[in-house]
Amino acid sequence: MKGAHIKATGISHTYRRGATKALDGIDLEIQPGEAIALIGRSGCGKSTLLHILSGLSQASEGTVYVDGALVTGPSPSRVMMFQAPSLYPWMTVEQNVAVGLKFNGRMREAKTRVPEMLELVELGSYAKRNVQDLSGGQQQRVALARSLVLNPQILFLDEPLSALDAFTRHALQRDIRRIAAEMGITLVLVTHDINEAVMMADRALVMKANPGRFSAEVAIPIEGDRAPSSHEFAIAKAALVEAYEGAAGLTMAETAAPDRLTSATDPAPARVRAIK
Amino acid sequence: MTRSTQLAMEPPAPPADAPEEEGVQAAPSASGRNRHLAAMAESFLYALAGMALLLVLWWLGGRLVESNPRMFAFADFAPGPTFARLFEMLGSGEAAEMTAPSLYRVGFGLAWAVAVGVPMGILIGWFGPVGKLTNIPFQFLRMISPLSWMPIAVMAFTTWDGAIVFLIGIAAVWPVLFSTAAGLKRVDPSWFKVARNLGARPWHMLFTIILPAISQDILTGVRLALGVAWIVLVPAEYLGVTSGLGYSINDARDTLEYDRLAATVVIIGIIGFGLDFLCQRAIARLSWHRED
Repeated sequence: MKGAHIKATGISHTYRRGATKALDGIDLEIQPGEAIALIGRSGCGKSTLLHILSGLSQASEGTVYVDGALVTGPSPSRVMMFQAPSLYPWMTVEQNVAVGLKFNGRMREAKTRVPEMLELVELGSYAKRNVQDLSGGQQQRVALARSLVLNPQILFLDEPLSALDAFTRHALQRDIRRIAAEMGITLVLVTHDINEAVMMADRALVMKANPGRFSAEVAIPIEGDRAPSSHEFAIAKAALVEAYEGAAGLTMAETAAPDRLTSATDPAPARVRAIK
Repeated sequence: MTRSTQLAMEPPAPPADAPEEEGVQAAPSASGRNRHLAAMAESFLYALAGMALLLVLWWLGGRLVESNPRMFAFADFAPGPTFARLFEMLGSGEAAEMTAPSLYRVGFGLAWAVAVGVPMGILIGWFGPVGKLTNIPFQFLRMISPLSWMPIAVMAFTTWDGAIVFLIGIAAVWPVLFSTAAGLKRVDPSWFKVARNLGARPWHMLFTIILPAISQDILTGVRLALGVAWIVLVPAEYLGVTSGLGYSINDARDTLEYDRLAATVVIIGIIGFGLDFLCQRAIARLSWHRED
């Protein structure tokens, strides 16, 4: 199965008790199999936008089309992962992974599909364990396997790695990107972590708050495995930091661009485009 | 605390010449198990001592009654006559005979309480408006002593048994209902969001997510309800019926058999305690909650 195409038009959203618009006139198009990061500070509406794209929430105004079909509610073909793994603690690892098959009357596939998914997230030997015995990173891997078991076309990530330690987070960032690429899944990631966006996305959309809008778009065209120590990574990160600072209206500490960036003669692979 | 830990720590201490690594590996699990055993033994001893103290107080009370000329007639309440009669009743099958109808009534009353309380509790916990609508009426009804329904129950039901089951049910339904509703309100909403996203239908939501998630709350409610039901049972059986523990107490009083009366009280206590213990074990067994 190949990733889905997403097209959102004129998305505005006001919370029932909110005075200002959480989102104001967002237009967005995501290509099949693309990895997108929605990045911004807390309260910029990025998570709201993600919920609307997934169908878990309805926008006050505007429409979302996935592969040309209007989104009116959640679907197992568009799965969201949250900051907490939200595994079911009364189930084993394999039962958690199989839960989506159960809901869709496809338990016959569980025998082959569940071990396959657990292998994919490198937890093959944990099938019979209670999820409460697992570390935070392992729990998110189980949540990933549970999300992938139904062969979704889109994976929405609502900061699912933000509570993990740096090492675990880095490994998962790489693995999720690899798995999504292998399975051809469209990836939409919400984060406030610039490194995470550069690690995982082909393109980052920087958002600013009050009202929630896109302020810039940064392409991150890095081929293959992404290493934070690489030159390309540094360039992309510098471009994203600049866009992020622009959106937030302030300067971040410790983000002075490395000298080699300014003196670089090679064409910068990361490009920033302001969105008005 | 410290004493028991010291006791527990002593046996697994490795011999002085044992290789250090081995000792380090073996010590935690062995000492952990020993500590657990020591703690269990300690609590058992406390329980035994507490019951012994109760018996002594009972015996002292019996002696006081016996030595008082005005209360001499009640001397059979003392432990001696009571236990003699209790063993007699156990041997003759009288004890089982009086207990069976009571257990049947409590069982049916509790079954009704669960059948009404759990679905209602889920409705209240799931649909906010239902909770708001029913909150005050239910709090109001809950505070009415179940026994005050007695005349109505007697009129409404054709059999005495029916009336007693109703009284037990109406007493037991509130703990089940409130515990279920409160448990559901505490459930992590993201569990529902994940289920909805993965395509759960309403019955999946109910049987795969909600019921397992709140099973412990339901059982805790049942345990509380059992306590209430067991309390309501005896006075409810004072009425009409000619069987059961409550009837036996009344009957023993009328025939001035105070040893039989006291023995029945002991039976009530033992069975109530036993049922509560079973509930507690069931909760511990079915619980998915981790202690730490």
